[in-house]
Amino acid sequence: MSHSSTQAAAGGNDGNTGAAGHALIEMKHIGKDYRLGETVVHALAGVDLSIERREFVAIWGPSGSGKTTLLNLMGAVDEPTEGALSIGGRDVRSLSDNQRSELRNEMIGFIFQGFNLVPVLSALENVMLPLQIKGAGYNEAKNAALARLQEVGLEQFVHHRPYKMSGGQQQRVAVARALVNKPSLVIADEPTANLDSETARAIIALMRELNERDDVTFVFSTHDQRLLDRVKRLVRLEDGRIVDGGGRS
Amino acid sequence: MRKWIKLAMRNIMRNKRRSFVTLIAIGVGFAAISLFRGYVSGMYEGLEHSAIRGEGLGHLTIYKAGWLEHGKSDPERYMFSKEEIEKITKLAKKEDGVILATPQISLTGLVSNGTNSTIFVAQGVVPQDDRTIKGSWYDFRPIKGEGLHEKMPYGVEMAQDLAKYLNLTAGKDGVVMAPTLSGQMNAMDIVVSGVYDSGSDATNDKYMRFTFDFAQSLYDTQRAERMVVLLKETKNTWKMRRLLLDKLAGAGIQTEIKTWNELSLFYSKVRGMMDMMFLFIFCIVLVIVVMSTVNTMGTAVLERTREIGTLRALGLKRRGVSMLFALEGGLLGLLGSLGGVVLHVIVWAIIRAKAPTYTPPGISTPVPLRVDFIPGVLVVLVFCLILLSLAAAIIPARRAARQNIVDALGHV
Repeated sequence: MSHSSTQAAAGGNDGNTGAAGHALIEMKHIGKDYRLGETVVHALAGVDLSIERREFVAIWGPSGSGKTTLLNLMGAVDEPTEGALSIGGRDVRSLSDNQRSELRNEMIGFIFQGFNLVPVLSALENVMLPLQIKGAGYNEAKNAALARLQEVGLEQFVHHRPYKMSGGQQQRVAVARALVNKPSLVIADEPTANLDSETARAIIALMRELNERDDVTFVFSTHDQRLLDRVKRLVRLEDGRIVDGGGRS
Repeated sequence: MRKWIKLAMRNIMRNKRRSFVTLIAIGVGFAAISLFRGYVSGMYEGLEHSAIRGEGLGHLTIYKAGWLEHGKSDPERYMFSKEEIEKITKLAKKEDGVILATPQISLTGLVSNGTNSTIFVAQGVVPQDDRTIKGSWYDFRPIKGEGLHEKMPYGVEMAQDLAKYLNLTAGKDGVVMAPTLSGQMNAMDIVVSGVYDSGSDATNDKYMRFTFDFAQSLYDTQRAERMVVLLKETKNTWKMRRLLLDKLAGAGIQTEIKTWNELSLFYSKVRGMMDMMFLFIFCIVLVIVVMSTVNTMGTAVLERTREIGTLRALGLKRRGVSMLFALEGGLLGLLGSLGGVVLHVIVWAIIRAKAPTYTPPGISTPVPLRVDFIPGVLVVLVFCLILLSLAAAIIPARRAARQNIVDALGHV
């Protein structure tokens, strides 16, 4: 697939459809407003975007351009004010809160800027969490979590609590947690923002490897040039609108 | 479920000091309720013993129908005849749970030592039956001198303050005067055979006890005012009342039967007051437990807002978040209650070992402070406090579950 041919243009029609004949994420005329007292803030307006499976996409733009809002919508943690949004062929706006929770649990992994690990759980228990939420048995969850922690090079730290781990190690745990359910999509909000250069490079390499090896779609927001240099596609946002959806490898 | 309990437990331990304070509040509240319940239980049992044995009410008192309403104005008509006394005694004793049925008379009059006179209130009792009714009560409040005896028909027992006022001790003589059934004054010599403590300041200066024969002579009658029935077990009181009512009616004797607790005003009033106090304490503890849990869980929800957002983003449903916080509340209730059980056992053991006494208002002598250990009450209380803490956690838990995920993730 030529990612340079993908577009964030209206309709998002690049001919690259998913396994079921749908783009993984399909956004049409998406708008998102926030109300601050009497004032209505248009965080996103008229966004049309299509993201295919196996893409490695960066959303970038100045602060306040709507990057995080866009990621929240793609992660089904927020709902658009207007427009149509489908993830994996499912119309997100028509789903109940419980159905959206199931969608997130089964299809989407999250990596947060601040890692967001549960402090009272060990690395292993943190990674087991999405599977346990899904209802998997203890042994199944444990084996899957151990395998993911091994992949991210943390087999020696499985019983460590987050506060006993470095930022890089915590973000690796977060990556392992995001991937443990074998999601189709991983949403990462500024995943390298709190990491030093070397650790950031390692995390970027890890995500890229997982993208290529496991066919996981990564969508992330970033300002990090090192990360921007490694992406297959860039989507530039300004004032809540996509101004450049052209890609680069 | 085990994993969520484990997570809830670790979250409780996250802020040890705050959780400890909440656990102390629940534990102390639990112990306050359970110890007071144990104290009240001991008191009720003591009052029951005092009414049945000490006051000599037995378990049931049988009156001729109409006595309670018209007996004072026309006593002779509403008293049991000799034949009726025998019939009732025979019928009652046929029942398995009945120890005895015995006739009694109440009378009032004047008692004199030859120099001073004062009023008295007396019960005429059959000495042998009365000894059976009193039972172990004599160990608790022994008589100075001899008790009533058939062989000493003029011997009377006199309450201690009355004896003191008349300067009478065991073996000394006096005179009692009372109106007969026909309204004439009758006077009879007495010998004080024993002095006793009635247990109450209100009655110690006027109570006397005569033999039934002596009371009949003073009253100039062969009749009895009532029949007192003593049962083997108190719990059968109400069942036996129904049974005897039917049997006596079947035998042609129309009666009304009162139970010991209906006749013991002191018991009823103290019980009413203690029940009210228990309810009051329970409500205070309830408020403390609810407020402590709501406060702890509310703060936890606030502190863990971002974590809630993360769990929701990972796919935990709203009811999962609610359950997690409700579990934490329930666990606080459980741990606090277990602490309360330990505190209860320690205080209970100290009271048992030290055996302190105190003098309740209106009671003439000190009584032992007794706190019963009632496992059933402790179990019920543990469940109550768990449910209460769980319920108290539901408000913050629902608040946590309803949070917008984006806002929660952005919470600082």
